This record gives sequence, structure tokens and C-alpha cells, in this order.
Amino acid sequence: MSEMAPARSYTQIVATQFSRNKLAVFSVHIIYVLLFVFIFADFLANDKPIVMHLKGNTYFPVFREYGVNWFGLNWQDEFKSQQFKILEDDYEAGDWAIYPPIPYSPNEYNLQVKLQPPSMAHPFGTDELGRDVLSQMIHGARVSLLVGFVAVAIYVFIGVILGALAGFYGGFMDIVIQRLIEIMITFPRMFLIITIVAVMETQSIINIMVILGLTGWTGVARFTRAEFLKVKNEDYVVAAKALGYKDFRTIFRHVLPNTLTPVLVTATFGVAAAILIESGLSFLGFGAPPEQATWGSLLSSARDMLPTGWWLTTFPGLAIFITVTVYNLVGEGLRDALDPRLKQ
Amino acid sequence: MKRSFLIQFAVLILLIIYTNIGDRSVATLSNDEVGDGGGIRVELSDDERIFESSPTDLPPETGGTMVMAISAEPENLNYYTSTSAAATRFLDYIYEPLLDYDYETWHYDRPVLAESFKVSEDGKTFTFKLRENIYWHDGQQLTAADVLFSIKSILNPFVDAAPQRTSFSKVIEAHIDGSYIFSITSSETYFRNQEILGGFAIMPKHIWDPRSLMDRFTLADLLDPTITREEAAIREFAEAFNTHAQGRPVGADADPIIGSGPFRFDKWITGDYMSLVRNDTYWGADHTYIPGYSEAGGYLDKIIIKVVQDATARLIALKAGEIDFIPRMRAIQYFEQTDAPDFLDKYQKVSYVVPAYSYIGWNNDKPYFSDKRVRQAMTMLIDRKAYNKYIAYGMGIPTIGPFYIYGEQYNHNIERWPYDPTRAVELIEAAGWVDHDGDGIRDKDGVDFDFTFSISAGSTSSKYLALMLKEDLRKVGIVVNIRQLEWSVYVENLRDRQFDVVSLLWIGGLETDPYQIWHSDNIGDRGSNYIGFRHAEADSLIDNARFVMDKEQRDAMYHRLQEILHDEQPYTFMFAQRDPAAYLKEFRGAKWIPIRPGYKMYSWWRSTAAMESPL
Repeated sequence: MSEMAPARSYTQIVATQFSRNKLAVFSVHIIYVLLFVFIFADFLANDKPIVMHLKGNTYFPVFREYGVNWFGLNWQDEFKSQQFKILEDDYEAGDWAIYPPIPYSPNEYNLQVKLQPPSMAHPFGTDELGRDVLSQMIHGARVSLLVGFVAVAIYVFIGVILGALAGFYGGFMDIVIQRLIEIMITFPRMFLIITIVAVMETQSIINIMVILGLTGWTGVARFTRAEFLKVKNEDYVVAAKALGYKDFRTIFRHVLPNTLTPVLVTATFGVAAAILIESGLSFLGFGAPPEQATWGSLLSSARDMLPTGWWLTTFPGLAIFITVTVYNLVGEGLRDALDPRLKQ
Repeated sequence: MKRSFLIQFAVLILLIIYTNIGDRSVATLSNDEVGDGGGIRVELSDDERIFESSPTDLPPETGGTMVMAISAEPENLNYYTSTSAAATRFLDYIYEPLLDYDYETWHYDRPVLAESFKVSEDGKTFTFKLRENIYWHDGQQLTAADVLFSIKSILNPFVDAAPQRTSFSKVIEAHIDGSYIFSITSSETYFRNQEILGGFAIMPKHIWDPRSLMDRFTLADLLDPTITREEAAIREFAEAFNTHAQGRPVGADADPIIGSGPFRFDKWITGDYMSLVRNDTYWGADHTYIPGYSEAGGYLDKIIIKVVQDATARLIALKAGEIDFIPRMRAIQYFEQTDAPDFLDKYQKVSYVVPAYSYIGWNNDKPYFSDKRVRQAMTMLIDRKAYNKYIAYGMGIPTIGPFYIYGEQYNHNIERWPYDPTRAVELIEAAGWVDHDGDGIRDKDGVDFDFTFSISAGSTSSKYLALMLKEDLRKVGIVVNIRQLEWSVYVENLRDRQFDVVSLLWIGGLETDPYQIWHSDNIGDRGSNYIGFRHAEADSLIDNARFVMDKEQRDAMYHRLQEILHDEQPYTFMFAQRDPAAYLKEFRGAKWIPIRPGYKMYSWWRSTAAMESPL
């Protein structure tokens, strides 16, 4: 990038700008790590071996688990009870198994090791049922990140469409959508979410994602509307109209791509906010169901343990703090990189 | 991003190699028995049913204030319409019944407001002779008219006292004879008549019915729907009663509740505290029932009952000296967070027994649990010993049935089901639950063994139990879903029988009638037999025992009932409850009794000597 090509694309300029912000670049790398954990959680923390050689056959239980959960496969008869560690007792010569680095699943309890401080066997300690805290955090990371991305995707989708309609057409449509936005923002968001969650029949992480998505779109809609107002009288839009393009095509092919950058920035901050809200909800007991470990619910169950179980609050708390911080830093980096006034 | 992922992959593989070579053994908790956490474990026995946890080296003193903390505030302080235990416990210091438990024999025959009483030969009519020296807190005399008024208020169909009214459903008539004779008649001979007909709190007629609206009506009138429908005064009185200012004396300037008891109402500041002051003109001030167990108005000048919802906040307030007594702590607080010498120097920890037991209720009408073999298997799949030891810190007392473990109804000859997963799986298979389709989940007649465990949102112990059960049953091919519900929704589902499995606590008494919970009459129609237990012999035992007045004969019938319940396992009986408490060591006379709530503030006093020279 440093040899200064004569003509650089917009993306390249932004990339260069962004790469100057060391903190943001570092944060991106942390997000990569989180993404890695998100994808490979089952290989990082699981009570099933990755590979197992038993009585002459080789098995891949972690892969099999995906088959069972997603593709309707069944467990082999030897593994019906899914207690692989017990099988170790009747190993014959030549039998072996390779376990993930954290050989515990998040729900696997062992009362005899309850509330143990961090040790070699349990790097982040154990909770009040003797479950491994690190394993719960790794699988909890999935929930947190999923909530962040899905909720933001939902509200960006809603916000962009409503904002585009309001900004492009103006007039009555604009008035209606603007009032709708105003009504939505008069409700304190957390209270609104808690109220909705409280009347829900079942607790599930999908509900939380949908509710966060349905309540968070106002900011995006306002940004998009403002950008549309700015852009809709540009020559290329007028040209598109003159060419007789349908409104749909004009809005989504011509105007929208030129208005998305500020939305991208809000979305990045939005992911951080959604993760924080999910943690808050789980902390209050409104979030994920009890068997689903999330960072917020880990913190919540640790509340009663203080001051004895410091590791129960410290690690999930740090995880939330770091994740929210890196998303915010990346968001700030993006904002600065996209801001033409800061271009050097 | 590619490079980043490659590096992480490399790290992961290194980690896998490292952890699979390394030693994975873990140090386990070695202690076989849980300690007492530095506190006193109250053990009651058939002979010794009062346990004093404080030293008895000093003579009692009068004076001082006690601040205690409870978790929930009552919605109102109307004795008959309030449904919260907090209200009952508070008002028990202000209002008094005709009879109460005898603290030596633990029979319900100690005269309180009554001086003496007579039971008719058929056991249906009770005649009470009231004491002549009883005065309300405002100076008016308490007479039989007040007693009659009280029972009329309970039985007025428009008073919001439906739960209380069910106990009095067999009352047919009551009248007074002069100022001191009150008699009441029930339509049936029932072994709990004495406890019910002599056990309601007496409220002052001149305060609650100043216009004497109810004087015109006899008790029989109130039981006649045609009369109650037509007479406007009955409804008018009930509406005034339900909303009477005495039922909600909130704020610093509210008129105090007028009662007759050893304590007077002081204040109720909502969201903060309720308080009581000693009644210095108590009618029974010279009356000491058991030496050292004074009901002579109590020793403390003032009792402040603070409302602190959060358990952690309660403990912090205790340590900060803002409160003196927490009657109910969490087990973890008792055993882990207060085990320091400086805490033990200043505070006394006590775990006392209350007449309540925890259980897991299996909905007998669901296909999974309709077979008793499956229910027995479920009980054997739950490692109750480990649960008690590690989750409940050994606070549970193993129990086999619904009766109070220190009462005479309890059958001590039954052995608890052991923890035996192998035998349990055999029973489940014998009942037909085998994995026919090979998907790893047992099924029968095309129904997967896949049920929902409903837990109440606030209960950590149920949550742990459900999580453990889910994990344990997964290993034997049974799927457990956990559903967390708000308490009000939880209770609704329970009454409508919309659940598979619940985990709850029944609070009972020294002697209880199993009719409400175990008789098949009470299945459906929002009855308390919501798990749907049906058993012909059990029904006839329950029906017949109600009318057996001979205690030994009756207890024998209940012992047989427990054998049936043990075999049928409609519930998995978990533990009789022990509540952990802590109080400032300056307090003496801390006595623990087998009736709710397990202690009475009458006997407590604050030692100035202990205050000056801490132990």
C-alpha cells in the first residue's frame, strides 16, 4: 500500500486510513479470535473426543455430534450414553482418544469439584455445580456474538428500508415513519425489552435476538433517511429517474449503496450494544434459558458467590468488557477512516 | 484474516497436543461430611421440642431493640384477606387466638384468650369461656361479641378471605351467651376441629364494624346464599372490611392496628420496614407459660422488621450492624461467606428446622409418569445425597413422606429409595420405555421420553436440580427441557395442571390432614392434588382418618398412607427443610420451636452485659 498508486479506489483509501489506527487494527484481530472461538467452540471445549480409537475402529465424535444435531444421524450404539470419559475405563491395548483443549462440555457437572479456583485442570475455575467456567464462556461466546450479529442484522434491515422510504419519498410517508421512530424512542429500550420478554411464553435466545432487532432500528432509519435526503437530488439519481427506472431499482441499486457507510459504523457500535444488552438481560434472568450458558448468566449466578468465587465474576466480566470495547474501537476506527475531513 | 486464522489454528493444535499429553486429574473435595459452618444445628426430638441456642448464664432483661430482615413485604396487613406469610407472622404478635399450641405437649389446647373450653361428646360443638380481663390496645374490653364478629367476617362470602374460608367450610352455627361465652358448631367430627375452631385470630368489632352492620345477621344467615345475595348490608360490610384503613396502616401518621397481643403496632413504612413496640399494659403480663419461654409481653421494647429483598444485601446489612437478625439466609452464605472468626465472634449462626419439605412432583397423568415404576426410577436416578451435600450444604433432612419429620404422624419405618441408576434403567425398560427408533431417546407408543421441568424463576436450588437432572437423564436417553417461569405464571400452570414436572416446597404443621394434597377429590378444579395422585386405598384411608379422634389409631392410618405414597412415588420426596439464620450474640433467649416460623420474638431479649464485654 505504501507505494502510492496514482489512482486508488475508495475502499483502498479507507483501508489505508483504517490501518493507521493501530488500536482499531489490534481490535480487529481480537474480533478474529472471537470469530474463531465462535466457529470452533465445539473443538475447543467439549466432553467428546475429537478422534477416538476404540476396539479397532476410529471415531470422530465431535463431527458426529454435528451430524446428530443437524443432519438427523444417530449416535453409534457404543456411544448412546455419550459418556466418552467412562469408556476410558475399559480401554484395551491400542485404544486412545484425543480430546479438545478443554475436555468439558458447558453443562457437564461434577459436584465434587464445585467452586474450585482456577487451576491447570480448570483454567478459569468451576462454578457451584462443578461445571468448567472456561467451557461455559467459550460456548457463551457463541450466544453473545450471535445475538450481536443477528440482532443488528435485523434492525439494519428494518432501519434501512424504513429510512430509505422516508428519505426518498418524503411527504406523507416521511411523516408517518418519523412519528413511528419518535414513538419507538420514547420507550426506554431496556424497559421495553424486559416488558416484552416478561410476557413471552418461552425463554430462548432467538426471542432476544428478534426483540433486540425490532426495538433497535430507529437510529439506523434516521441515518439512512438523512443520507437519502442528501443524496436524492444528486445528478445520478436525477439521471436514474429520467431514465425511467422503477423506484425500487433507483432506491436499492443507485442511492442505497452510497448511503450505507454511516450505517456500517452504527452497526458496529450496535453489535457492542446488543452484546451488552443480552448480558444485562441474562444477568437479570430474562435472557437465555437456564441450560444455555451466556456471559451474562454466568455473571448473574456468580453474584451470590461473592466474595468467595472471584473467578466466577472476573472472567465473564472481562470477556464482556473486552468484546464490547473492541467492537467500539473498530467502530471508531471505521468512523474516522470514512470521514473525509480526517483524510491525510 | 487468513493469517490470523492460521495462527489460531496452530495455537489450537498445540493446545490439543498439550492438554492430551498433560495430566488431567483434578483434586476433588475430600471432606465426607459437611461441617456445621461454625453454627449450631438445632436438633429436635420427640421429648425436646424447644431448643435454646443462646447461653442461659444471665437472667433476662427488659428493653432494647431488635432489627430483623425479611425478603418480602406483605401486600396488606388485614389478617383475613392477606395471603402473605409475612403479614401473618407480623400480625401474630398483635392479634391472638382463643387457643394455641401447648409448648410442652405440643397439643393444640393451651387457652389464650379463652380461660377454658368444653367439647361436646360428638366432637362437633366447642364452647369457650373467655377471660374477663382482656383489653384491646385502645382500652376497650375484648368480649365474646368480638369473637363472634371475627368468625362472621371470615365467613362473609364477600370478604376476600376465600383461602381461610375453606378451613371453616363445615361450620354451621356460632353464638354467644353473655359477654364471655362463645360456642361454635361444625357439621362433622373432625380431628382438626379444635385447631381450626379455636385457632382463628380475634379482631376488634368496634374498630372494624363501627356501624354494627353485622349484628343483625346470624352465622347461619351468612351461610345462606339467598340471604347474602339479597341483604345489601352484608356486601357493604365486606367492602368496608376489605378496604379498611387498619388493613393498610401505611406511613408515619397512620392509626395503629388495634389488637390484644403482647406487642402493639408501631409503624409501617412501605419499602422500608414494619415495627412493633411492647404492650406495657398486656392483659397476660403476669402470665408466664413456660419458665424462660415468656409470652408475658416479651422483653424487647421494639422489633423492627426491615424489608431487604436481596439476600446479599441482607448479609451486608447484618455485617454492617444495620440489622441484628436474619431468620433466613442462603446456605452458601451460612457455610462459605460467614465462616470467618470475626463474624463468628460477633454473631451466632443457627440452622433450625421448620415444618416444610421440598419435593419433585411428577404429573401422574402424563404418559411418561403414569406408571409407578417410572416414578420410582426417577427417584432412584436423582442422587439426593450428593445434592444435599454439595448444593444444600447438608441442610436437608432426608424425608420419605409428606408429614413433619418431628411429628407423630411421620412413619420412621420406611426406608428411602436409594440412588441406583442401574435399577432405575431396568424399571424404565420394564415399563416399556425403550429406544425403538434408535435416535438415542427412549420412546413408547411413538411418544419420545421428552418432558419439561418447570422451575420458578427465583429459585436457584430448583435450577441446579433441573440442570443436574437434565444432564443425568440425557445419559440414559431421556430428554429434559427446562422452563423457567415467573412465580405467578408458575402457580397458574400448577393449578391448571399444565406441567410435566415441578419442584416445590410444601409448608405444613406439626399435625396435618393429607386430604387437601393427596385425596383424588382434589384433582382438577384447581385443587391442590395437581399432580393427579389417584389411589383407592389412599382415598379411603384419608377419608376415614379425618373422623378418627383417637390419635394413635389415626397415626397408624397415616403410617399406612405413607407406605402407599412411598411405593407409588407420586412425588420424589426430597428433604425436610432447615433454615439457616444468624443473629447478634447480644441477643439471648433465642429459642427454636417446631411450628412456623420456628421462633417467636417473645422469648428474645438483649443483654447489656454481653454488649459491654463481647465474648
